[in-house]
Amino acid sequence: MENINDYKIHPRQVADKSSKETLKKAIKLALDVESDAVRLNTQSFNTNRYKAVKKIDDYEELKDRARQIKENSIQNLPQLLDKLTETIEHRGGKIFLAKSKKDATDYIKNVCLSHKAKLIVKAKSITSEEIGLNSVLEKQGFEIAETDLAEFILQVSKEQPSHNVAPAIHRSRESISELFKRNFNTDKSLETGEELTEFARDILRKKFLSADIGISGANLIAAEEGTILLVESEGNIRLTTQLPAVHIAIAGIEKIIPSKKDFGIFIELLAASGTGQPLTSYTNILEPPLDLPILNLNGRKDKQREFHLVIIDNGRMQMREDKDLKEALYCIRCSACMNSCANFQAVGGHAFGGEVYTGGIGGAWTVGTTDILEKGRFAELCTGCSRCVPNCPVRIDIPKLNTTIKNRLIKAAGGPSLQKSFFGNFSILGKFASITPGLSNWVSNLSISRTIMEKIIGFEKRRKIPRFANKTLVKQYKEYRRTNNLKSKTNELTSGLVLLADVYTNYNNPNVGMAAIKVFDKLGMSITLSKLLDEGRASQSQGLVQLATKRALKLATYLEELIDDGNEIIVAEPSVLALFRYDYKKLLNNDKQFDKLANHTYDPIEYINMLIVNCKLDLTKYIANSDLPKPKIFYHGHCQMKTIGAGYVASEFFQRLDYTVDVSNVECCGMAGSFGFKKEYYAISKNIGDDLIHQIIRSDSFDSNTIILASGTSCREQIGDELNNPIYHPIEFLQKILK
Amino acid sequence: MPNEINKEIIEQFIASAKEVVATVERIPANANSLNDALVAATENEVVLLAQPDDLDPELFSIFKLNKNVIIEPTKEQLSTIKTGITDAFCAIASTGSVCLSITKNLSSPASMLTRKHIVIVDSKTIIPKPRDIFSEKYLEGKGLKRSFSIITGPSATADMGPLVRGVHGPGKLHIIIVDLPTGRQGS
Repeated sequence: MENINDYKIHPRQVADKSSKETLKKAIKLALDVESDAVRLNTQSFNTNRYKAVKKIDDYEELKDRARQIKENSIQNLPQLLDKLTETIEHRGGKIFLAKSKKDATDYIKNVCLSHKAKLIVKAKSITSEEIGLNSVLEKQGFEIAETDLAEFILQVSKEQPSHNVAPAIHRSRESISELFKRNFNTDKSLETGEELTEFARDILRKKFLSADIGISGANLIAAEEGTILLVESEGNIRLTTQLPAVHIAIAGIEKIIPSKKDFGIFIELLAASGTGQPLTSYTNILEPPLDLPILNLNGRKDKQREFHLVIIDNGRMQMREDKDLKEALYCIRCSACMNSCANFQAVGGHAFGGEVYTGGIGGAWTVGTTDILEKGRFAELCTGCSRCVPNCPVRIDIPKLNTTIKNRLIKAAGGPSLQKSFFGNFSILGKFASITPGLSNWVSNLSISRTIMEKIIGFEKRRKIPRFANKTLVKQYKEYRRTNNLKSKTNELTSGLVLLADVYTNYNNPNVGMAAIKVFDKLGMSITLSKLLDEGRASQSQGLVQLATKRALKLATYLEELIDDGNEIIVAEPSVLALFRYDYKKLLNNDKQFDKLANHTYDPIEYINMLIVNCKLDLTKYIANSDLPKPKIFYHGHCQMKTIGAGYVASEFFQRLDYTVDVSNVECCGMAGSFGFKKEYYAISKNIGDDLIHQIIRSDSFDSNTIILASGTSCREQIGDELNNPIYHPIEFLQKILK
Repeated sequence: MPNEINKEIIEQFIASAKEVVATVERIPANANSLNDALVAATENEVVLLAQPDDLDPELFSIFKLNKNVIIEPTKEQLSTIKTGITDAFCAIASTGSVCLSITKNLSSPASMLTRKHIVIVDSKTIIPKPRDIFSEKYLEGKGLKRSFSIITGPSATADMGPLVRGVHGPGKLHIIIVDLPTGRQGS
C-alpha cells in the first residue's frame, strides 16, 4: 500500500463526484492508499455489531418501534418544531431555524461575535461539515479546535470525513504518526496509539481550558422536553457542552422526535449498531442551559449559561416532500450500512461518498442537501447486495434509495448508457446468443471483440465472459423428459413443484437447473419447468426501474397462476429468489400478490430441508453409500440469500449430513451481478474477491480437493476466476451424493 | 423490588461493569466502610469530592475530613486535579453503566476533567436496561427529570488505530456499590 501522506491526489480533490472521471480517480486513490485501514476498521465494527445486536433480546421489535417513531416524527415535523421552539424558549434557550447553510453560519458567526470569542471548541458534527461552518468561522478570524480525535486528525490533514462514526477510518496508526511528525514540531515520541492520543489530548486540553464557546451536534432532540441526546466515547462532548458558558448545538431538522421517553430505544440501537458496544462511554442527556456552575477556567467573567439550538433545513423539508428520498430522513447515522457493505469495506467514504456524506445512505443525503443530482453519482457503488437492509436500525431500504438516484441520473442524461442497456437487458442478449452459442462464445472471446466491448460498453477485458451454454435449460429439460419417456410438462399448469427457468439458469447454468430437476425426480417429487420470463433483476440493478417493474408485473402474474393452481416454486438463482421475497414488495406495490410469491418460493435446498424438518422426507435412504472419505466443503453464502434469512441453510444442511463445512463471513463476493464485469469497477470487485479468496485458502480444511459451494452465479464466477477447485451450486453437490 | 431480584441484578451489573473495564467493589453503606474504601481507592492523591446529589451526605462524613480532600476547589485546582469522586443516581445492569446528574454540585468537573473517576452508587438503584431510565416505573421517574450522563467504562478512542483508554475523560473508572443495612432494604 502506497503512502497516503505522499499520494499524488488529495481526497478533497475527488470529494465532489459530479463527474465520472472524479469517481474513477477517487476509487483509485482509495484502493491505492486507504483500503487496508478501511477494511480492518469497518470489519471490526461489523463483527462487533453482529455480537452486540444478538444480546438485545427484542432487537427486531426495537427496530420496528424506532422506525415507527421516526416515521411519525417526520410526518409531524412542523408541529414538533413548534413544540420544541416553545420548550427551548421557555427554559431560557434560543432556537433558530436555518433554511440554508448561509442562514446557519451567519447566525452562529453572530453569536460568536457577540461574545467576543477567540477560540471555539467543537465536538464532532457531520451537519457542521454540511454547512461548511469551520471555513466561515475561520475566515472571520476565530480559531476552531476540533476536539474529537478523528476530526482533529482531519483538521491537520485537511481531509473530508470518510465514515459517519469514525471520520478518519481511512488512516492507519502509522499514517497518523507520520502526519503528526510532519505537522507538529515536537521531540515527543509519536509511535504508539497511547502516545498519539496523549499528544492530541494535551494540545486539546489547553484548548478546552481557554475556549470561549463550545459547538456540538445532536443525535436526537426531544420536542416535548427540549432534551438533546449526544453519544460519544472520548469525553470531548462533555467538555464542549459543559466547560464554556456558551453552548451552540447544531442539528438537522430530522433529529426531532416527540419525547425523551423514547430516547432509551435509540440509545440501545445506536450503540449496538454503530460501534457494537452495549453503550459508548458517554451518553449525554442534556437540557441546556444547564444548571451547572460556570467555572470560567478560561479567565472570562461569564455569569450566565447560554444555549443556542440551530436547526438546519438545507433541503430536508424538500426531501420530506420527495416520496423516495424521504426515507433517508429516518437515518440515525449509526453507520451500520457502511460497515456491512463489502464495497464500502474496500474503499471507504472517500470513494463511496461525497463531500460530507458517505456510504450507501450517503447518496440520498448528498443529493438532498446539495440539490445537485450528479453529486450523488457514487450511488453507483451500491450493487444492491442488500446486506445493509437487515442491519439498519430504522429499516431504511438503502438499495432502493440508490436505485432511485441511478434512475434519476439516467433520466437526466437523456436515457441509459450503452453499458446499462447491455447489462440491464441480459435476457435479450441471452436469447440471441443462445441461437448459436458456440459462435457467440467464440466471437465474444476474440481479442478484437473484447477490445471493442471494453471500449463501447465498458466490459472489463480481464474478466472471462460468462459462457452461454450449448443448450439452454429449456432445451435440455425437453430432451431429458423425452429420453426418460416422460411427457414434457413445460408451460403446463400442474400441481406440484415448478422450477423457475430464470434467465441466468437458463442461458448460463442449465446444469444447475437440471441438477434440481434430477434431485426432485430422484426424491419422487413431481417437478416441471416454468416458462422463460425475465424477472427484472438485471434492469433493477442498472437503475432501469420502469423496465424492471414491467418485467416484474408480467412474471408475478404468471407465478401467481401457478401458485393458485397448487404449485410451489423452486428458484435456483438466489438473486432471483430474493426478488420474490424482498424487492417485489416495492416493485409490484401489491402486498397480496407479493405475500403469495414470498410464501411459495424456495431455494431448492431450503425446500428439501423444510421437508426433512417437517418429517416428510427421510433423506438418508437416498444418499449413496460410500467408503471414501467425505470431501471437505467451503461454503460462501450469497448476499441477498442472507438478507432474506436463508443464507446459511445449505451450510447447515451439509453439516447435518456429517460434512465438515467452513463458512465465509464475507458480506458479498464483490461480483454482484454485472458490477464486477464493468471496467470502472473491476478493481474494487477484485479487491473484495481477494478478501473472500483469502478466507477460502486460509480456512482450516482447505486443500486442492476442497469442494466450494456457492449458490450465486456471480459468486461462482468470482471464485472461479482465482481458484481451480470444484465449485458447485449446493443442489449440484446434493445430486452428486444421491444414489 | 424483591431482594432476590435485586441480588441477581447486582451481580449482572458487576459483571457488565467489569466487561467494559471498570473496577468494582461492594461495601456496606456506612461512613466508616466508605471512608476505608475511598482512602484505598484514592491512593493518597489529592481528590475533588463533589457534593452528592442523591446519596446521604452522612456517608461521606468521615472521608471528607481527610486532608487530601478538596470540596471547594480553586480554578487552578480544577485545571490540574487528577482524581474525582461523585455519586450516581442509578446504574444499569445490562451495560455496567452509572448515571451521573449534571447539577449545581461539581460532579461534572470531577468526572470529566480528571484522570480517574470514583463513583458511588446505591445497590437499590440498579435498573435492568438503559431504556428503563426513561420509564416512570423505575427510579420514581428521576431519569425523566434531569440532565445527566450515562457513563459506561472509561473514556476511550480507536481513532489513533488501536483502542486506547483515557482520552479527554478519565482513563480509569472505579465503582463502589453501597448496600443499605438489612431491614432498611426496600424502604
